[in-house]
Amino acid sequence: MSGSKVDLSEFLPPYLAEVEELLVLARKSLLAAEAAAKGGGHNALAVRELFRAVHTIKGLSSMIDLEPIVAISHEMESCLRAADKAGGHLEANAVEPLLAGLRSIDERVNALATSRKVSPAPQGLLDTLRDLDKPRARPGQKSGAVTYALDPEIDAKVTASERTQLLTAMAAGRRAIRLEFSPSPAKANDGLTINSIRDRLRAIGELVKVAPVHAPKTEASPAGLLFLILFITDAPDEVVSKACGCAVIGELGRAVVPAPPRPDALPELPPDAMADDEQSTSEEGRSSAVVRVPSERLDDALERVSAMFVGRSKLHRAAASLTAKGVDTRELNQLLAEHSRHLRDLRSSFLRLRMVPVSQVLQGLPLVMRGLKRTTGKNVELQLETGRAEVDKAVGDRLIPAIVHLARNAVDHAIETPEQRKRLGKPEEGTVRVTGHDRSSTQLELTVSDDGRGIDAVAVAARAGVPVPQTTAALLELLCRPGLSTRTAADTTSGRGMGMDIVKRIVDQLGGELTLTTEPDRGTSFVLRLPLSITIVDALVFEVAGHRYAVPLSSVEELVEVDAAKVVTGPAPRAGGLATGLMERRGFAMPIVGLNAAMGLAQQALGSKALVIRQGDEPVAFAVDRMMGQQEIVVRPLDDLLVKVAGISGAADLGDGRPTLVLDLLALGAAVLQRTQQERRS
Amino acid sequence: MSLLHVVFKVGAAEYVMPADEVLQMETFTGATPVPGSNPYVAGIVQVRGKVLPAIDARARFGLPAVDRTLDTRLLVAKTGDRTVALIVDQAREVVKLSAESFKPPPPMLQAEARGLVKAVAQIGPRMVLLLDFNKVVNEGESRGQ
Repeated sequence: MSGSKVDLSEFLPPYLAEVEELLVLARKSLLAAEAAAKGGGHNALAVRELFRAVHTIKGLSSMIDLEPIVAISHEMESCLRAADKAGGHLEANAVEPLLAGLRSIDERVNALATSRKVSPAPQGLLDTLRDLDKPRARPGQKSGAVTYALDPEIDAKVTASERTQLLTAMAAGRRAIRLEFSPSPAKANDGLTINSIRDRLRAIGELVKVAPVHAPKTEASPAGLLFLILFITDAPDEVVSKACGCAVIGELGRAVVPAPPRPDALPELPPDAMADDEQSTSEEGRSSAVVRVPSERLDDALERVSAMFVGRSKLHRAAASLTAKGVDTRELNQLLAEHSRHLRDLRSSFLRLRMVPVSQVLQGLPLVMRGLKRTTGKNVELQLETGRAEVDKAVGDRLIPAIVHLARNAVDHAIETPEQRKRLGKPEEGTVRVTGHDRSSTQLELTVSDDGRGIDAVAVAARAGVPVPQTTAALLELLCRPGLSTRTAADTTSGRGMGMDIVKRIVDQLGGELTLTTEPDRGTSFVLRLPLSITIVDALVFEVAGHRYAVPLSSVEELVEVDAAKVVTGPAPRAGGLATGLMERRGFAMPIVGLNAAMGLAQQALGSKALVIRQGDEPVAFAVDRMMGQQEIVVRPLDDLLVKVAGISGAADLGDGRPTLVLDLLALGAAVLQRTQQERRS
Repeated sequence: MSLLHVVFKVGAAEYVMPADEVLQMETFTGATPVPGSNPYVAGIVQVRGKVLPAIDARARFGLPAVDRTLDTRLLVAKTGDRTVALIVDQAREVVKLSAESFKPPPPMLQAEARGLVKAVAQIGPRMVLLLDFNKVVNEGESRGQ
């Protein structure tokens, strides 16, 4: 097992999806159980849910040999099983270690998802969890808690149930040791045979395995044979040696689990870990008819639907040219109109598939707040009101860091300490409210508000060294300046890393709007208005004549180098015409045109790179000056008639706060072919 | 009844628009040109997260292009359900103008301005022109393609 490397790639995606979902459920249940415990009662259902979730995580993880996660979840499970048996009574001191356990699992799942190395289970955590409840080792109990070291050769002889027996015992803090017994006539005379040893060992522990292995013939082992013994005991080595007349070769467990560098310093939950594909709330039960689909499949389907829209416009053109030739196309046009309607419906159905409840997007927030309360020592209540609002998963995923940041800022900067609040005549417990509702059929409005001290415009201005902003819009603009921090010292939660400028950038990139209202000593609200759905594509970004453009990666067949010396240009076109060159590609001539010229701009010398697309069956190359790279972009349609141009499918913010045009090379290619054909005809 | 109006400058002339039609005034930091669009469309701009078409007022009014200065402003206004930015040379003032202070433009000016000016008003010694933003945006946007 330690020696063989199993190819996990196939199992990983479903595993990750399932475990992530279970973690969300577990966190939610744990917080519910904690709330009940604080109120002096208990929430048996929540504890049961938590127990089940952890149990399933353990089972799934052991299927793909994820020892660290198996180890952590095993300890958690033991503790939870006891709590479940006690009617859902969860000790208050168990909550922190259990949360730490979930974080630890989460961290490892994330590592796995991003192909990073999965670190071993932190021994400190395992010990803490184990101390919560010391379960008696039950042989045969299906579990695993720690890794153990054995030569692969020997390990191969250990059956699964023996392995669990060993691991369970080790998890319970017992010693699993390895012995070797070489039978010899001399030993037999002393009454030491493998059978007598078996009996003796059974008296002081649990015999797991006795296996004969070949050994070179030596004086010590004249039979050329020795017995390998795996044994679980609480007795010290000397007692064991004495009992069997042979040396203890080594202990299997514990020592091989390297202690993590800082077992207590668990990394905080990365904000994106809050994202989750599907939900399963305990209210709805896990049996609701939910189909789990990787979002790439939805995107793929949506892309195909979009391709049908291209086909549709071709159909319309063909019909129009028939009409122009005097053919009676009334019925055809009727059919086409119907077809268009169906296509639109189909597309909106697909878009709807990607919608997730806002409540689900924000479900990690209580946990973040809980951590903040602990680190800041402030008393804050989080109120979440999201109703039934839904948002495109892509929007939701990108939004989370912004919301988390705003909530952090609220707790960290806005909410006063309990003493200060008391002096101001405010309730000691501060409130952070996050509300979400759909403002229209295309817009979501999220509000993060607090009842804290409000933003001191004078102080912000002083820090930035600028005049005091006169409007809240100006204040917001100032707050969103990169590098502006209203605190002198970076603190643990929001003083470092992401500032308001990132919040602004996230909102901008999504095509949303950020506004602010703030009142001294009354509080602050940030309102985010966001599109309910967006189109995200992988895009190639490049430069032509000093301007940047992006094209969806999917539309580009190939990137080629252009050797201008080898491009053959036909007879010079008339003034204003399109100079189409020809270049060789895999033995065939391929038309190449400067992208600038294709867009109707001034013809320039061909750039050194070209994007090849397939126009029908024919490849067409567009020469560009420089490739800038590849990135994910949010495409925003350019709907206004003033800027609706064939070949331009929208605009995207590449992160610089300016719109960059997203080109539709297929449409440009079609226009190029049309123009060249016209030129040939005339 | 007097209404607030935003005063802005394009070339030598001063124009006004009702303040409630104007959504924002922003400093102009450049537009992304959109090849194939009307010549007076400077391109697209991103204003508070929204991508908007920007009309170059000078080009739209048939004035020669000048270099943008620090005074150049984006005037973001609504017409119908469309939001469009207008690049103007300067915009600094908001004035109160009563409905009575507006007079129909002289026929000569109306012909010259192709109906882009709805009315004229006097602010002290200055003559200001009331811009028909709807016409600025909607007329002549197809380019015969």
